[in-house]
Amino acid sequence: MSASAAASDEATDAVLRALADPQRRRILRLVGSNELAAGQIASHFEVTQQAVSHHLQVLQKAGLLQERRDGTRRLYAFDPEALSPVRAVLAEFWPTALDRLKQVVEHDQRKRPKI
Amino acid sequence: MSSASPENDSADDSVTARVRIDAAPEVVFPYLIDPSLMVRWIGEWAELDPVPGGVFALNIESAVARGTFLVVEAPHRVVFNWGSPGSETMPPGSTTVEITLTADGDATLLELVHRGLPVEEVKPHIHGWTTFLGQLRDLTWARL
Repeated sequence: MSASAAASDEATDAVLRALADPQRRRILRLVGSNELAAGQIASHFEVTQQAVSHHLQVLQKAGLLQERRDGTRRLYAFDPEALSPVRAVLAEFWPTALDRLKQVVEHDQRKRPKI
Repeated sequence: MSSASPENDSADDSVTARVRIDAAPEVVFPYLIDPSLMVRWIGEWAELDPVPGGVFALNIESAVARGTFLVVEAPHRVVFNWGSPGSETMPPGSTTVEITLTADGDATLLELVHRGLPVEEVKPHIHGWTTFLGQLRDLTWARL
């Protein structure tokens, strides 16, 4: 595998891991149309601010959140560009499924009596 | 290493995959429309009524696909739409899967095109699509 393909796999994995958590998906919905400060995001959650900070960090590392400083505040916005590589999940999903189809059909075919 | 080849077309937001199967289209086709044959290669539960307008329902681990058969032309072509219940971006029936089988000697060339994936329009409706991707991630990673 080339270095760039490996890097792209890592990026996709980071995005999908970030999306696999329901609280992080909720954060993305909150900032989907409005840029929000960390405190505003935390006010929507029962969990500790520390836990929210952790989620923000994971989302930011995955590229799903862009952070902007405004004085002392940190503002977060959703970056839809980060979702583009996840197309790769579906691009892997179907070939994997079709390979299983091939194996199953050819296996059954070998067991058929020749006419 | 996968022998089925993926292709991405960022322009029309579709995914294409192809595979060559050493069996005639007549042999392959039932695996696309018969629930007991389908679950041997995709999903673990299926309810399929392979007539235009008939139910297409498939459970793949935590992901669920629901839709309708649009075209059923044995043994060469089947088209169904699918989506995920509760998803705003990919509701049941919102994306389309077209499978064509072409005879090649004693074998079949199978081409699958999945259209209407809402990757680009995700922003206003992030919930459903990311939920579906989260589900897909779990099952794809589990199997690779």
